[in-house]
Amino acid sequence: MKKAENMDEQHLKRNLGLIRTTMMGVGGSLSAANFVIIGEAAGMAGYAIIPIVVVCGFLSLLTMFSYAELGTAIPLAGGEYTFAKVAYGGFTGFLTGWFEWLSNMFYTALSAIGFAYVVSYLFPQINIPLTAVVVVIVFAFINLKGTKETATAETIITIVVLAILAVFVIGGLSYAQEPQANPAGSSIGILGIFAATAYLFELYLGAEAVAAAQAEVKNPGRNIPLAIVLSAVILIVLYTSVVSVAVGIVRPDVLSHQSSPIAFVAEQVLGPFGAILITIGLAITGLAATNEAIMAQSRVLYAMSRDGYLPKGLCKVHKRYCTPHVAIIVSAIFTVIFAATGFVNFVVYAVNLGFIIGFSVVNLSVIKLRKIAPHLKRPFKAPLYPLTPIAGIAASVFLVLFIEPSVLVLGFELIIVALLVYYIKMIGHHRIRIAFGGISLGLGGFTAFVAYLLGTNAIVLNGVSSVMLTLIIGILVFVSVIQLLAGMLSVTSSER
Amino acid sequence: MNARRTLTKIVGVTQTAIGGIAVIFAFLFFYNVFGIHSMIGVTKNGVGFYLWIFIIFGLLSLISGLFLYYEES
Repeated sequence: MKKAENMDEQHLKRNLGLIRTTMMGVGGSLSAANFVIIGEAAGMAGYAIIPIVVVCGFLSLLTMFSYAELGTAIPLAGGEYTFAKVAYGGFTGFLTGWFEWLSNMFYTALSAIGFAYVVSYLFPQINIPLTAVVVVIVFAFINLKGTKETATAETIITIVVLAILAVFVIGGLSYAQEPQANPAGSSIGILGIFAATAYLFELYLGAEAVAAAQAEVKNPGRNIPLAIVLSAVILIVLYTSVVSVAVGIVRPDVLSHQSSPIAFVAEQVLGPFGAILITIGLAITGLAATNEAIMAQSRVLYAMSRDGYLPKGLCKVHKRYCTPHVAIIVSAIFTVIFAATGFVNFVVYAVNLGFIIGFSVVNLSVIKLRKIAPHLKRPFKAPLYPLTPIAGIAASVFLVLFIEPSVLVLGFELIIVALLVYYIKMIGHHRIRIAFGGISLGLGGFTAFVAYLLGTNAIVLNGVSSVMLTLIIGILVFVSVIQLLAGMLSVTSSER
Repeated sequence: MNARRTLTKIVGVTQTAIGGIAVIFAFLFFYNVFGIHSMIGVTKNGVGFYLWIFIIFGLLSLISGLFLYYEES
């Protein structure tokens, strides 16, 4: 247990300056998948993708101020889940953690799929879902053995990738042309623009890592807000430049059909060398993002289990590696299922829905804590309060309207499952067992009834011989007896 | 008390096995392995209904069986 406590509540040294903290925010958002979905978004929005990228950056910045305020005021690990637990507690805290885990799980799948798409540009024969699954399994295994969060390594990777993208932008600027008179996708209308905004919102996710790392930041009251603003500005400039160059060289409708749109553009500008360079850079970001997302989602499961919201088994820590191995394995199993689909669009919207809910809760938590804890020490306060959190909530709610309907249905189902998990966990073990006893009795009665209907020929199975029919009835009677026995044993069990 | 404990464990394992078999059968049924559809005279429209019945039956049995087994462990 001591190890478990040490795992996420260790005393960390404040050794991150402004530059490294800013690079953490930039690096947190860079993922291979972002440069894959740019192509799809260009197909959706045409040349309007350029202002959309800027708008998404500003919408994200609104909530980043709230992250900065809460991250410096509540110096505990856990991000949105911790903020919601402190501000609201109960089901709201649980639901926030639930969606934080799910969105990180979808983000892991997306990062792995993004990596597979990027690599498939150079090796078209690879199987994208299989590659994504292998990447998830490999990084789950690495996380099982433990990884050290090295901010220095992340800073170096971020700078290298930024340099590669700078080469791409500078090399491409001279080739970029004015938008064509009648580009495909130019008549998408305002609804199409909103839909593309909801789709591209994912670009800036991960910048909240700055607030999450507050325990390691020197002079957090000054450096965290500055780093958040600086990283947002760098990301807005970076994505806008990359997208402008991309749609300036290749028409948006052509871009949307590429497995790795940026590598395709780089090949047009810099030749095969450009494609290889971009692929290497993006592949590195894809692997790094997958690794970080697996770590993040397993830590959320661990924290929820530690707080009693999920089964205790999930917060077990490996004796040798000191990692939450059960949480990592469970997370990896769910991630593999979604990574195996290889469906980029569905996973992107699922990631966005999860984070939009998380962002809303963070903004609501800022408002709630300003009311119930006005004297809480806040080294940084969100500017223009309450306008910024309210604008952040409004933007989030508005974007939800443009999420793909199938993902919204999935989100609704996940809320129902969350309700079930929460109340089953809260109502006590003995009562659950009695409930399942009742269910078993019902299943036993149902099976016996089906056996009776078959025996009296009320149900006729065509093409089944009388010997086979007798065998089926025998099996059903056996199943019925077992279910009834299980029901009686559960219902009559003593409370411990 | 020991007899009840042993019985509970046996029933728990059997119920879990029944649940697992039901879930596996649901997939075999969905993909019409061994021509199950024609064997039991199910139309294409009815496949979804039977699939849900098998999956729900199987999952509930699995969970209930595991509860029984682990309560007595």
